[in-house]
Order: sequence, then structure tokens, then C-alpha cells
Amino acid sequence: MVGLSIDGRAVRVPEGTNVLQAAERAGVAIPHFCYHPALEAEGNCRMCLVEIEGLPKLELSCSTAVREGMVVRTAAERVVQARKDVLEFLLAEHPLDCPICDKAGECRLQDYYDAHGLFPGRFFEAKERREKKVAIGRGLLLDRERCILCTRCVRFLRKVVGTGELGVFERGVRSEVGTYDATPVANNYSGNLVDICPVGAITDTDFRFRTRAWFLHGKPTVCPLCSRGCAVVVESVSGYPLGEGERRVFRVRAGDNPAVNGPWICDLGRAGRRDIDENRLTRMVKAAAPGVDLSWREGIAEVAARILAVPGEERGARVAVVLNSFMTCEELAAAGELFLDGLRLAKVYFADPAPGSADRLLLTGERAPNLRGALEAGFQPRPPDLDAIAGAEVVLVFGPPIGALFTEGVLRRTLASVPAVYFFGSHAGPLDGLAGLVFPMAVPAEKSGSFINVDGLRQAFGRAVEPRPGVVAEGAILAALARALVPSGGGADVR
Amino acid sequence: MSQDAVRLLPADGSSWRLEAYLGRGGYAAARKAVTSMAPADVIAEVRKAGLRGRGGAGFPAGLKWSFVPQGGAGPRYLCVNADEGEPGTFKDRAILVRNPHLLLEGMVIAAFAVGIRTAVVYVRGEYDRVADRLREAIAEAEKAGFIGPGLFGTDFGLDVIVHLGAGAYICGEETALLESVEGRRGQPRLKPPFPAVVGLFRAPTVINNVETLASVPGILARGADWFTALGRPKDCGTRIFGVSGAVRRPGLFELPTGTPLRTIIDDYAGGPPEGVSIKAVIPGGLSAPLLRAEELGTPMDFDSLAQACSMIGSAAIVVIGDRTPIIDVLQVMARFYAHESCGQCTPCRVGTSWIHKAVSRLAAGQGRPADLDLILSLADGMKGRTLCPMGDAAALPIHALVTKFRDELDRAVAR
Amino acid sequence: MSFAPSSAVLGRIDRTIAAYPERAAALLPVLHLIQGESGWVPPEAETWVAAKLGVPPIRVREVLSFYTMFRRGPAGRTVIRVCRNLSCTLAGAEDLIGFLRAELGLAGGDTTADGAVTLAVVECLGNCDNAPCLQIDGVDHGRVTKERAAAIIGELLGK
Repeated sequence: MVGLSIDGRAVRVPEGTNVLQAAERAGVAIPHFCYHPALEAEGNCRMCLVEIEGLPKLELSCSTAVREGMVVRTAAERVVQARKDVLEFLLAEHPLDCPICDKAGECRLQDYYDAHGLFPGRFFEAKERREKKVAIGRGLLLDRERCILCTRCVRFLRKVVGTGELGVFERGVRSEVGTYDATPVANNYSGNLVDICPVGAITDTDFRFRTRAWFLHGKPTVCPLCSRGCAVVVESVSGYPLGEGERRVFRVRAGDNPAVNGPWICDLGRAGRRDIDENRLTRMVKAAAPGVDLSWREGIAEVAARILAVPGEERGARVAVVLNSFMTCEELAAAGELFLDGLRLAKVYFADPAPGSADRLLLTGERAPNLRGALEAGFQPRPPDLDAIAGAEVVLVFGPPIGALFTEGVLRRTLASVPAVYFFGSHAGPLDGLAGLVFPMAVPAEKSGSFINVDGLRQAFGRAVEPRPGVVAEGAILAALARALVPSGGGADVR
Repeated sequence: MSQDAVRLLPADGSSWRLEAYLGRGGYAAARKAVTSMAPADVIAEVRKAGLRGRGGAGFPAGLKWSFVPQGGAGPRYLCVNADEGEPGTFKDRAILVRNPHLLLEGMVIAAFAVGIRTAVVYVRGEYDRVADRLREAIAEAEKAGFIGPGLFGTDFGLDVIVHLGAGAYICGEETALLESVEGRRGQPRLKPPFPAVVGLFRAPTVINNVETLASVPGILARGADWFTALGRPKDCGTRIFGVSGAVRRPGLFELPTGTPLRTIIDDYAGGPPEGVSIKAVIPGGLSAPLLRAEELGTPMDFDSLAQACSMIGSAAIVVIGDRTPIIDVLQVMARFYAHESCGQCTPCRVGTSWIHKAVSRLAAGQGRPADLDLILSLADGMKGRTLCPMGDAAALPIHALVTKFRDELDRAVAR
Repeated sequence: MSFAPSSAVLGRIDRTIAAYPERAAALLPVLHLIQGESGWVPPEAETWVAAKLGVPPIRVREVLSFYTMFRRGPAGRTVIRVCRNLSCTLAGAEDLIGFLRAELGLAGGDTTADGAVTLAVVECLGNCDNAPCLQIDGVDHGRVTKERAAAIIGELLGK
């Protein structure tokens, strides 16, 4: 460990730490653009210059390693002047786009200028005119006038993703970032480019012009789209400037979890923002009486009664349940207690999305978050046995993934002969018309609980967004079901 | 005396040839070093001689060689900086054309001292025809066993690659040069690590200017004491001074360091033409802050010029006559640095361009009184802040010109 | 449209690559060789060079666009480089450049309509004691007066 002083504060850091990171530990934030902890120091923005006692010139804090006894000053007059000068240079060739730029409100250039005195401009020359809407791939747009050539995007694609679709062309003030002809950015991590761009040079058409950063309320959760369990932040707006009571998710971005995903997430996870709002089931529907408003408790009472109508010793063969690995550990534990220990069902299946291919970064082949939670709860997950299900009397299906595993026709034929089908789903799908009762369920972002990821790490998360009015979580369903099945005439086989 | 050092030979068809070079005692110093000296002793001799780099930075050559870690397996490289992009400079060209074997011999000695087996001569792209002469000399030397494997009957050998640049002044900066050899954009690297440890292809590398290496055989042949007897105490030996601009006899003159600037201009270059007096002199290439007429007594050595707030740089003297509007000089400077900025770091990328735009506007008659202070302020914003020395190279001469000729520029703006 | 250098140039390219410790380092010399033959480096050559050296095509474009001596569009059969830096400016380079442009009939562009000559205005060529200077296909010419310039142009356009 190395001890040094930063603005008078003593701090100890591991050898090899750079001064910028040491300052962070000491609670001092040194402004910077091109530095990123996941990339090697580049040293081109020149914003992080600091004064180091004993050295005549200002030094880059991002690429200077700490030394024992070093005395660093980050607020000396000449340091502040150096920052102002860098800002002035950057702003000289920067377009006055704030009113139309998505990055406003979360832009480093704005933030630093705000912090360093709001000085008037002295640039009276003709600014470089460049293309402002270059489609570089994956729905991303590059605005070359806004670009400050920090090269974070170029370096990220080369070093972290390994695909290197971006480069720097020309020279001097004519330098510009771009792709090679029509070879666009085409990888599953392109969304991170928007996150790491310190200004609004790279933006996402998915987010473009849709809202303002300062309306967003971000809350952390764990991404449910594979078993990596990346930390994500779900950013939504509730109420103003939307309508009263309206809630919309605008963006999912990376949370920073050094143990799992570091500062990145994949594009699949980002696209998951649509799952939270789009195509949601929000109403209890009884097929026999579609216009009637039903509460989910009334629905559960019906389900319980129907299960109880099957003699206890026959339930094992005549009641089937399809679960999924999107449920939390707590929900799966409750399901295990109810269906395995309590009702002693044999026909218990898991309908999870078909495996995809893993990439060498974050995305796992498993496309559900909590297979290990299911194992912990005592399940031995196996895919749905359609013949067995077809022969059952009561079928409970949790989750929409089964709709992706089998065609509507196959599901219809399977369930046609089942007298009582109950569907607990978050999204509309082919099962809606096949079930006697449809329960509108919460998505993981609307729940709290835990997942166990591919490395066996248990991660607890809280609600990232308020549940849609009307939806209910599996946990509540299972608890109510368990309570309803307790005062049974079947003896000791149900708690 | 000037005959004994780097030896600017006549630019004829034969004086450069191997036969003539051998007749003058050529390759004897290399033979002595490689067959009878330890590499550390060669370094010691060059350090004792106090040879300072002749490319511009003036770093002591022997000290630079000593930074390469001793022993160790793996390749090491010698890069010869023949990029010669500093405006006003044409001395390395003359060595390549008129005395290429002197350079090759210096390269052999340097490589032997540092344990290097491969040398890359980085020649600016515009010197392709100049490089033909070097290529011929290399062929001669290879045939005669002065370049290649197993020199002088030992197991020390040296391969030489001639690598052409392609029009980028910044590739004269040593780390940008390395990037260019590696087949990349010529963008300077962060230091540390220094090239002596992590250089070409990540291996220990020494980069020396052509004239620096061409000074080495003389030191080995005649001894460090001979070298230190020439020139000034902390800046020994001779230099090839280039003189151009408003003088009667522009050309190259090999003289001891410390020769007064006035002497070089008047006694060797013939002074300004009839009816022209000197307005200003750039002493060491465009990046060296210019001196006014009253400062011409300055001795041409590192310390004296540093004291005069300038630098010896590449010892390229450009004389500006009184008929030349100083704004023209400023425009050339501003345009040059904006054109050559690699664009990697903020202050140089934007600063050189901004200054260029402001100066162009000034020169086109649309200047305002505040513009000159603005230009000084922009130069201050670049000084000491950039990733490589080019930031200072762009800022300092412009700052000096605007300061020293403020009156003339104010009048130009007012018109 | 695919690219193929002549067998002579290909031979030189292969020998050049063999001289370097890493293939990618041969990029600048290979681009020089290709430009030496066709006068410029077309996009098809970029992908050919990339494959030959085992570097991504984007790297070839990055390098091509950085160095001013590489041309990405066709050039005249003869390329004249004329210096505009200090010593040459002091010796009247501005007038010389204006004169050359007029003699060549260059309005906005750099290449004559008949494709005979490209005029490139460049920075210091390292021939300062012979200002004003220019290069014709890389060969230095110094102390170029208007008369000599006119004679040179006449010869080039007459060809």
C-alpha cells in the first residue's frame, strides 16, 4: 500500500493505483473525459491535469502512478486555469446543441463548464461543420460536431469487445470518428457506447428526443434476461411530464457491479426495457365472463377450490404446474413448498426460453436468470411434457415463456382436453385465449427478491419501478394459494 | 577544424562512396569499438564527450543509451530519426546524400554499445530520392561486411531497414516515429513508459537523430577529449548550422557550438542582401522563438539560447529581412502547426486550428485589437499542457513573435 | 471490382513484408508501393492490403487518411509538390504558387482537366537554401524562377 496526500487528505491505496483513482478514494473527484477505469489511460483530453509537489509541470492524474509521500493538489489556481483552458478549447469547436441534445443533464461538458465559471466564449471564427447524424449501426447515431475525440468509443470496441468497428480518420482538427465504409457497429455491446460517450456525440435512436435526463428516476435491479445477473439501473418517469398516474420506462443502463458485469451490460439487457412496459397483461380475465371485473384473490379462491376438488391421492397425476426460472428465489422456495412438499405434485415442469449462444463477455447461454434458484428450491427442472399435461385435469402455467417454446396450435391441442387451465402471465400471448382464468403478473423489475447467477452468486434486488396497477407478483399468488389450500379436507398432505 | 568533425563533403558523385570513405579512415572507429571495446565503455566514452542530441531536444546521447536495461533477451532496436520536418532544416539530408557511410558507421557503434541488432532509418517520405543514396551506401556496406551479420569477425551484426514516412511533421517526435514504423497513425505515446524500456514493437529502443549518430565515429576515433575541446563546456563539439532566408549565401556550415549567431549569418552566410537589414532571426527551426536584431550576438549553444528564451532546436537559422511583414511569418507558422497537429490531444488540436483561423482573419484585414491578446492567451493555454512537445513547439514561437513584434502587428490590425 | 498489383510490385511488396519483424509494420511501405504504381490507393486496394498484412481494413483507412502524401483519389500523371513554408515564402513562394496554378489552369481543384499534372502545396521540403523549391515526382528543384516554372509546366503539359 502507498500513502499519499490529496488536497490535504491522507489516503492509502494499492501500489500501481493512478492518482485519479486515489483521489476518488479520498473523496476528491478530478474532472476527466477520456479516462475510463476499464480502459488503459489515453491522456488525450488533458482535463485531469493536477499539481504534484516537486514536479514543475502539471501532470495527468489518470496516468501517473501514486508514490509514497506524494502531495497532490487538485484545486490549485493553475490547475483550475488548465481545466478552464481545456473546456474553452472543447467548447470552441462544439455546437450549441444543448436544447436539442439528448445528453443534456448528464453531460460532462455541461457539468464541468457549470462548475468552472460559465465564462463567455471568445471564439469568433467559423466552427468546423461536420455531419450530425451518422448512423453507425445498431440504432446508434454519431454527431461529429459534438464529438470531443476522447476515443473512448474507439478504445472500448477494440479492447473490451474486440470488434473494433470504429476508428479515427484524418488529422488535426479535421480528425473524425467513423466506421469503415458501410461496415457498421455490429455487436451485442454497442449500447455501452452511449453510456461511455461523455457528451452527446453518440446517441441511441431508442431514446432520441423522447424525454429529458432530469425527468428520469433510476433505480437498481438485476437484469433477468440471462443468468449473468448484471446490475442494471431502470430509468423511468412517473407523472409529470407524462400524465398523472402514468409511468413509462425510458431506458435501462448499466449499474456498476465489479463482481459481475463491471460497468457494462449487453444490448439484450438494454432492449429488456420494452418488456417492462410493452404488451402487458394488466387485468384479471375470466374466459367464461370476460366483461366481469374480478380480483386476483377471487381468482385464487377459484383455483384453490378446483385443486381441492381433485382427491388428494390423485393430485400427483391430475394437477400439472409449469413454472419458470424468472421467478425469484423466494417465490421458487414458496412454489417448492406448495407444489412439491405440500401437494406432492409429480407433473412439475419448467418452461424457460431455449438456450442461446453465450458470448465471451457477459451473455450466458441460459436465457433466464434463476435456474440455480430453482435447483436450490428443490426442483429438478425439466421441460414441459405435453402429453402428461394434456392428461391432467388442472393445469397452472406460470409465465409467458412457454408461448415461445411451442406454437399456438400445439398449445391449443395440448390444453384442449384439460378442463381447468389457469395462466399467470406478465405479457399477452397465445395462452390468453386458452385459459379459464388469466392472472396479470409482475415482471422482475416490479418485484423484490433474489436471483442466483451463473457463478452461484446470490443477488438481492428491490423494486426498480412501481408495479402496473392491477398486476400481482408470484409471491403473493403462491402465498394466497397456500393459505387457501390449508383448511383442506384432504388430511395432512397439505400444510 | 570543421573538416574533422561531421565532415560535410562535397556533393559530388564520388566523395560519398565507400572507397573514398575507407580512404579517409572510415569504419576504423567501428572496428575499434566492436573488436576491442566493451559496450559499456563505448557508452562511457560518448557520455564523457557530452554529445547532445542534434535533432532538437538536445538530450545527452550517451545517457539515453544507458537507459536501455543491460543484458536481457529479446530484440532491441535503433531508430534513426531522418524525418527532418522542422522548417528551415536541411542538414540531415546533406549527411544522407554526402556522407551516408559516416551515419552508418555511427549506427554500428551505437547499436554495438546498446546490444541492438536491427536499425530502422525513418526517412521522411519527401526524401525518397535522398534515401536512394542511403540505400546505395547500405548496399556497398553490406557487400563489404560493414553492415549485416558477423561484423569485423565478431558475432555482432546489424541489419538496417529504410522506412519511409508519408508527410507528417509529427513523426519527427520519437514516439510518433515508433507508431509510424509500426504501421499506425503517427500519434505520440504517453511517457512513461520511455522508449528505452518500451519502444518499437514494445522492445527497448534508442532513437537518435542523423547528425547525432554521424558525430559518434569522430568521438570514438579521436576520443572524448577531442570532442569536448570543441564548442562549449556543456554543449561540446561542432554542429551543422543551416542558414536560409534573407542572406546572400544560404547553406550549411559546420562550426563549433557557441559560435555567435551574428558570426554565422555575416561571416559565413554573407549577411543580408544589399539594402536589406535584419528584422528578426529564427535560430533553431520554426519552433524556436525568434530573436530580434539586437539579440543576434547570442552564442549558438543550448544554454545561451535557453537564456534568451529560445532554443537551438535543429540549428536551422532563418533570417527575416526588414521588408517582410511580420504578419506573413505569423501566418506561415499558424498554418503549419494547424496542418501538422496530429489531433490527438485537446489543446493542440483545437489551439493550433483556432490560432490559424484567427491569424487568417487578421491577415485578411478582419482583425480586431483584442485578437493579439487572444492569440497570446491561446498559446498560453497550450504551453505545457499537451501530450507531446509539439504543443510547445506551436505555442512558443507564436507567443514570442506576437510579443516581440506587437507594435507592428497592432498597426497591421488597425489598418 | 478487385485489386491486384502488378507482379513486379507484388514481388517488392512480399520482400518488403519479409523485412519487418511484424507484418503490420509494412503498411506504410506497401501503401507507397501501391501508390507508386497506380498514382493513388483505391478502396479495393485498402481491403487487399488489409488482408495481406492481417490488419483490419479500418486501420488501413485510418493510416491513409492521416498521412498527407497518400492520395485516395486519382492524381495527375505528374505530381508537383511546391513548398509554402517560411524560407520559401520569404523567397516568393506565394507568387510562385499563384503563377503555377494559373499556368496549369487550376481553378478550384489540384489536378489539371486533362489529368496531366497534380499540384500539391506542401510544407517544408528540407531544401531551404534553394528557396523557392518544388519537387517533380519526388525530384528536387530549387531556386525556381517564374521562367523556369513556365518552362517546366510547358514541358509537362506538352507531353
